[in-house]
Amino acid sequence: MKKEEGTVKAATKLILVPTVAASLLALVGCQGSAALGGDHPDDTAKEVVIGSLHPLSGANAADGQQMSFAAQMAVDEINEAGGIESLDGAPLRIESVDTKSEPETAQSEATRLIQEGASALIGSFESGPSANISSVSERNEVPFVMDVAALDSILQQGYKYSFRIQPSGSMMGESSAEYLDQMTKDSGEDVTKVGVLYEQGNYGTAVEKAFANRIEELGMEVPSAISYDPASSDLSTQVQQAVAGGVDVLAVTGYYRDSLLISQAISSIAPEVKAVYGVANGGFDQTQFIDDAPNGGAGYLNANYRLDVTDDRARALSARFDKGFGAPMRASAALSYDAVNVIAEAVEEAASADPQMIRDAISHSDYEPVVVNDGRIDFDETGQNSHAAVSVLQVKDGAIRTVFPNDLAETVYTFPAPPTSAQN
Amino acid sequence: MAQSPAASLTPSAPAPNAEAPARPKRTYNGPSPRTLLVTLAMVVTASVLAGVVSGSVTVLFQALITGLLTGGIYSLIAMGLTLVYGVLHIINFANGAMVALSMFLTYAAVSGLGLHPYMALLITVPAMFVLGAAVQGTLLNPIMKAPIHTQLLVTIGLALAIENLLLMIFGPTPLSVELPGDHGVSFLGASVDLSRIYAFIGALVLVALLWLVLHKTRIGTAIRSVAASPEGSRLVGIDVKLIYVLTFGLGAAATAAAGTFVSTFTTIEPTAGSVFNLTAFVVVVLGGMGNVPGALVGGLVVGLTEQLGGLIFPGQSPLLTVFVVFLIVLFAKPQGIFGRAS
Repeated sequence: MKKEEGTVKAATKLILVPTVAASLLALVGCQGSAALGGDHPDDTAKEVVIGSLHPLSGANAADGQQMSFAAQMAVDEINEAGGIESLDGAPLRIESVDTKSEPETAQSEATRLIQEGASALIGSFESGPSANISSVSERNEVPFVMDVAALDSILQQGYKYSFRIQPSGSMMGESSAEYLDQMTKDSGEDVTKVGVLYEQGNYGTAVEKAFANRIEELGMEVPSAISYDPASSDLSTQVQQAVAGGVDVLAVTGYYRDSLLISQAISSIAPEVKAVYGVANGGFDQTQFIDDAPNGGAGYLNANYRLDVTDDRARALSARFDKGFGAPMRASAALSYDAVNVIAEAVEEAASADPQMIRDAISHSDYEPVVVNDGRIDFDETGQNSHAAVSVLQVKDGAIRTVFPNDLAETVYTFPAPPTSAQN
Repeated sequence: MAQSPAASLTPSAPAPNAEAPARPKRTYNGPSPRTLLVTLAMVVTASVLAGVVSGSVTVLFQALITGLLTGGIYSLIAMGLTLVYGVLHIINFANGAMVALSMFLTYAAVSGLGLHPYMALLITVPAMFVLGAAVQGTLLNPIMKAPIHTQLLVTIGLALAIENLLLMIFGPTPLSVELPGDHGVSFLGASVDLSRIYAFIGALVLVALLWLVLHKTRIGTAIRSVAASPEGSRLVGIDVKLIYVLTFGLGAAATAAAGTFVSTFTTIEPTAGSVFNLTAFVVVVLGGMGNVPGALVGGLVVGLTEQLGGLIFPGQSPLLTVFVVFLIVLFAKPQGIFGRAS
């Protein structure tokens, strides 16, 4: 009797656990993708597959889903316009997968995509996963075009198959410092001390190091550079530390959630600074920052990669994206759009779906991106787009505007722009 | 195990009869005065050290106040976790996801119905109570006798399901809830937002409420006796499975309150609760597994450690000091600050 009861219980358990597991898998699977055809790329390809690796779930899903959507948009546009001409109108296909922000998942998914016939990869928003995808693509000799991934060292391994469209962390840090210097000088303000707050991960440290070095080379001082854990739930102490002893400008490098916490702390502490200056900040240039931040984030400056709003093609794209996706296009999504187009042009030129030939064509790409860039894309021998550039944005009249450099500006910047004054 | 993890939930007044006069009955549930003194001394030393290293009184005050307030938030989030562990011995990995669910419910109530954020408590608390009770009744009750990892896996699965459902329904763009009239208050150069002070008060009220429920109601007595001995409770006619269902429901309701309070000053996204998971477990273990007032003290200790540690060791992750303190406490008092030797 007793034994029987036990067996029944064990059986229920045996059934229940896999059922729960299976239904969960099904749930997670909903976001995954349909099965891939196993056809290998060859010169008579019927379609060319591009693997898109982004965080579709987890903390960075907001960017990841936008980027995946933008990649699909780019492919749809090319296919509607007749596909790849040199391949008799062969269509492109995006195979979009979720990295879950995990380097190991990114690695296994990249391997799978390549095995299933992807001719090129794009990705992945975060440096850790991107570094792993880079090494997979190098080993398999399949080109990988990074849309967003700031860490410099990814391209310092001598890789031949990895390319990066966005400015590297150090490029962004240095340009931000130079722009700050020019803007303060142009407006006749005396800025001698810059306090720095940065998230403690790969991206924050890479950007901060370059920024602080360049600031000091330009003759300003960095009395305090404070790192923080982006998962913190309050950053008031760190803001107090960064402004202790008095600074003229507070520079912040971080993601959306932590940058918002910082803006809240700034609002309640009300430090006497001339401006808050985002350095490649992932929060200060998001549209919802204006809704979420105290005082609408008025006056906040941010030097970052950005959709080129002076360009008609970029503006039209942004409008189409907004309509299709249902939220304003982030710069990260624009970079994914560019990454797909770089690959598409290379496929067109190579007239082949062969990864090696596509790689060679990418290496002398001459594509004109929709993001702010010094002219056309130009990959140097490490794979970095040497023409990648940042522009400075400012929250003005309830909108985010490009304000510097002047030839890209939508409107003139306000400096000083203390974060607590209402008149910005 | 030398010590029942549910020690503090054990009824404190059994059989007041003749035979054991030798040992004075302890109804006092807190730490020994010595432990409190040592804890206090350590906090003071750390504060002095942090003050010296940071070189600014304002920064030190800010760290102390922020530490206390975030500590309150940590204990708020750990409350449901410790209750469920104390009675059911289930480590609920879905705690963070349930906090996130409550944040989204609050958002829906505020933006959809136009309610004041704190009025949303009237929706989130009952809704999460029902959900928690349902989870225990359907998913966990059938496997209560299974090894602990079976229940653990179910709660991990539940967490994945909740987070991804939220992502599917609400999308990935972060949301926020604004507390009307929220602004910063200044205190000795340090500043805090009112919403955080309210959350801290919420944590205190919640501890008091849970304590009252557990110690002053018949249901509470039943819960505590199930925690002490499920077999014994069954013998005296308590429906143990029903108590399990009620306890998980109560735990989920506490989590709901935490979610609503936190939603007024943090970004609402599916992963917003799970960033607290690790800290919440540390709080629960520090405070003594299953000890509700212990969770409050545990939360304050973790909050202060994080802030002061960040000042003393600049450039290090604040979690470093938290875990160093955690290891020291476990070494000196394996049953947690609030745990008592048997």
